[in-house]
Amino acid sequence: MAEKFINCRGLQCPGPIVRLFKEAKSCDGGDIMSIEATDLGFKKDIAAWCKKTKNELLSLEEEDGVIKAKIKKVDQA
Amino acid sequence: MSSQKQKLLIIGGVAAGTKAAAKAWRENPYLEITVVTKDQHISYAGCGLPYYIGGVIREERELLVKKPEDFHVDMGIKVLNLHEALKILPDEKVVIVKDLVSGKNINMPYDKLLLATGAYPFVPPLEGRELGNIFTLRTVTDASALKNKLTGSNLRKAVIIGGGMIGLEIAENLTLLGIKATVIELALHVLPPFDRDVALHLEKHLREKGVEVLTGISVTGFTDNGLGEVGAVITSAGAIKADFAVLSVGVRPNVELARQCGINLGTTGAIAVNKKMETNIKDIYAAGDCAENINLITGKPVWYPMGSNANKTGRVAAINLVGDDAGEVLEGVLGTSVVKIFDLKLAKTGLSARDAIASGYEIETVLVPSPDRAHYYPGSRQIITKLIVERKNHRVLGAQVFGEGTVDKPIDILATAITLGASVEQVAKLDLAYAPPFSTAISSTSLAANVMINKMQGKFKGVNPIDLKERMDAGAVLVDIRVEEEYFVRAIPGSINIPLGELLSRVDELDRTKGIIFNCKVGLRSYNALLKLKRLGFANVSILEGGIAAYPFETE
Repeated sequence: MAEKFINCRGLQCPGPIVRLFKEAKSCDGGDIMSIEATDLGFKKDIAAWCKKTKNELLSLEEEDGVIKAKIKKVDQA
Repeated sequence: MSSQKQKLLIIGGVAAGTKAAAKAWRENPYLEITVVTKDQHISYAGCGLPYYIGGVIREERELLVKKPEDFHVDMGIKVLNLHEALKILPDEKVVIVKDLVSGKNINMPYDKLLLATGAYPFVPPLEGRELGNIFTLRTVTDASALKNKLTGSNLRKAVIIGGGMIGLEIAENLTLLGIKATVIELALHVLPPFDRDVALHLEKHLREKGVEVLTGISVTGFTDNGLGEVGAVITSAGAIKADFAVLSVGVRPNVELARQCGINLGTTGAIAVNKKMETNIKDIYAAGDCAENINLITGKPVWYPMGSNANKTGRVAAINLVGDDAGEVLEGVLGTSVVKIFDLKLAKTGLSARDAIASGYEIETVLVPSPDRAHYYPGSRQIITKLIVERKNHRVLGAQVFGEGTVDKPIDILATAITLGASVEQVAKLDLAYAPPFSTAISSTSLAANVMINKMQGKFKGVNPIDLKERMDAGAVLVDIRVEEEYFVRAIPGSINIPLGELLSRVDELDRTKGIIFNCKVGLRSYNALLKLKRLGFANVSILEGGIAAYPFETE
């Protein structure tokens, strides 16, 4: 079980969500993805993404204008 | 006023009355100034009342700007609270005032009189109105009554009748207290002065925050819960259970005193005044919520009962009350307003698209999203600018700006531009301050103006999100040109996805005979897609204005 940090700060649409798709593919079930983004639209996107991909959103918070999310990759097999 | 013993009498002691009293004294400290008000409190922050309910403002005294004795100590202005003006005798220049404590009537002579009688909350003649737990919110006393009722009570479900700014602020504050709030609005959307394509975003936001929003519904009465208190609100869409109700269906000007002594009312029902705030009777002026305003764009009478106008008109009236030939004038106002409901901020100035069309203007509109500051700077948030421009001379007639970012700066820029009669080209070229923590290199306001110029030059055809369904029902195809991942996360029902990078290789999938509408996140990539297809000879191509960011309906 690995933890991966993904820096999406400074990326604009569609940057953060594309990056997330890519990184998620290289993760195994149970891995934790920790993401930071400054694109505030990402807050809604990430919640919707988790819902649709059935990955688990462990936490989603905003700190000093930065969106910080922790996602647990769920084994889809 | 030449003599030092001149008497200025002011009826009303909230915003306009106290502003005028203080300004008049500063213009001429030898005046004998008296303010009479039937209320207990003077100079209070009426706009702060919803936040007092919600506990953002903890104590009643925080709402009180000044106490009656402050005026006497600071400026020698006499304030008689709990004194009700009963009648004006213009020929004798006397006002009959009742001391509400002693019950005695007093004749108060004046040389100049200012009516600042304000407005009162409108209570429609609804069946069951007399039941308990039905509130209005206009004065500090009203607010304390509601707050006291809620403290330690088991009132858990509120129905707020009226989806204007105050009603929605109340809904927010009740929600913050853990109360389930339902808002009922008679108009087709909340915030009726705003356009629907803007207001629907607020409805979506309210629902996300747990507030139920019902629009296009009328209230006919209230039912008794068996204890003489409201149990449900009866509407055209059925009964809605309520532990308590708040009536917030707007205000009406207090004009009875003026009407009885022969002062003319205007077409809006408020007191008619000229630009110096004089009524038709010599030496009687009116200011604040009881008086009419002139709309700066149409030149027609309007009524904008707002604290900002009350202070402005109070000040203008004071200068003219003191100096007979002062000639201080207020040319008109734009109805500029701003509101924050939960995390969403909405601001408006000038005419809405709806009002502009109703006033006979031929207009063009755009919806343009932008970050409020550099996208990479932490705290950057999206705002959407709606511009309304007159087609024939490109004059900006109105604007609405909304989003989670800073909206008051752009709306104030636009209010300034409109006041000075600016064209959209002039707005596009304004030299505005930029550094990443504050703005974007081309500000959101100039960006919106540039998009408008492109549209007016025919560089693209736009579809307002409100009209999208009708266009799709008529056969237009909505092509989302965002990347697959974005489309996967959120899309407009009925759209197809062809990423911009694949557009040229997949162009055969598009039917040239049908209308094509491009969609992306904010509209920019759609514009690029449109330009690509135009070069291939596609004629009927347009873009969804503001993209998915400005789309106010449900996505999937």
